[in-house]
Amino acid sequence: TPLPLKKPTHRRSAAVSAAASFSISEESLSSRGFTFHRTVENLNLDHLNSVFAAVGFPRRDPEKIRIALEHTDALLWVESSKTSRPVAFARATGDGVFNAIIWDVVVDPNYQGIGLGKAVMERLVTQLLEKGINNIALYSEPRVLGFYRPLGFVSDPDGIRGMVYSRKQKKKK
Amino acid sequence: MPSHDVLALPTALNYPPIVSLDRRSQPFYPFNSPFHLRKGGRNQKVSILKAGFWESIRSGILKNNTAQVVEPPSPVEEVEELLPEEFVLVERTRPDGTVEQIIFSSGGNVDVYDLEALCDKVGWPRRPLSKLAAALRNSYIVATLHSVSKSSGEEVNGQKKLIGMARATSDHAFNATIWDVLVDPSYQGQGLGKVLIEKLIRTLLQRDIGNISLFADSKVVEFYQNLGFEPDPEGIKGMFWYPK
Repeated sequence: TPLPLKKPTHRRSAAVSAAASFSISEESLSSRGFTFHRTVENLNLDHLNSVFAAVGFPRRDPEKIRIALEHTDALLWVESSKTSRPVAFARATGDGVFNAIIWDVVVDPNYQGIGLGKAVMERLVTQLLEKGINNIALYSEPRVLGFYRPLGFVSDPDGIRGMVYSRKQKKKK
Repeated sequence: MPSHDVLALPTALNYPPIVSLDRRSQPFYPFNSPFHLRKGGRNQKVSILKAGFWESIRSGILKNNTAQVVEPPSPVEEVEELLPEEFVLVERTRPDGTVEQIIFSSGGNVDVYDLEALCDKVGWPRRPLSKLAAALRNSYIVATLHSVSKSSGEEVNGQKKLIGMARATSDHAFNATIWDVLVDPSYQGQGLGKVLIEKLIRTLLQRDIGNISLFADSKVVEFYQNLGFEPDPEGIKGMFWYPK
């Protein structure tokens, strides 16, 4: 099996070498009828919303999705040429220089298990590295920690904890 | 918007010296979102804070006849007036008669040189100024605390010093993440960091951002828990790509 993206000494050269070591090449994927897109152009948001729903996300207002995508630093989606619909997606938000967070990583259940999720993630991370962003983070549900680890993600490094605000949670000391 | 008297702390408070920083550049104005909050007027000192918070600020403070403590009206939990973009949090009189105001702002008026100096004070490694400026520009909200000093009787704002900052990136619809929370060490221990984050959260919630997240060093997890953040909710873990 091809080597996973490895941490290099210099992140920018990582991006170059990473492209050479993607687990699945773009050619291999396109020969199977999958094309990569890196912009929202031609992305049908209702179709995307269906993929979100299929993996269990709450259905969201497509107008809000549109706004979210307009304010997204980088995104990647895979289109199935058979259906002309998105079958895999991931996006990253951030400040464009220091930090990026990856959200909404999804693969249509009918297309899972063939490496599309990994392909999307490898390319998204590479894109962020090419922009010089060194701090790439995400929030992972417990059942998919095993998906992100081989991609190079580490949970709670140095005891850093991901935290989410909850209106019900607030304690007053 | 009703105006409330601002808590005035007595002069007995141990007071840190004010150091003025030369303003070497124009204040930095980052990207303005289309959502514009009504600015508080200069003579309006509005502090919309819950009684519980004031208790924590007041603890340990001696009361004498220069102290005026006014409770805000009985706090209604989440039904609130729109937070003004800028307002006075605290006003206090120093032994020498000068008055200091601590001002919160979510307008993001940060001089990048002032920010660099503040980052130096808390011991953060230096970052290229151009990148710092870009990070501010690309942030959805930049919240700041400034200390403003003036001689009593003057209405004109005097020296303005950056003493705290927190910023949030966001997709403007669903998620926001808070980064770079810092308070000048001379001003720590007064509850200002709590206010900074509380107001930042409030601003985000009022803009309908439902998911507010951050990554906390183990030493400050409890600080954020007390503000309403939950670590690993439902087992969801923060992960980083090949962290150093």
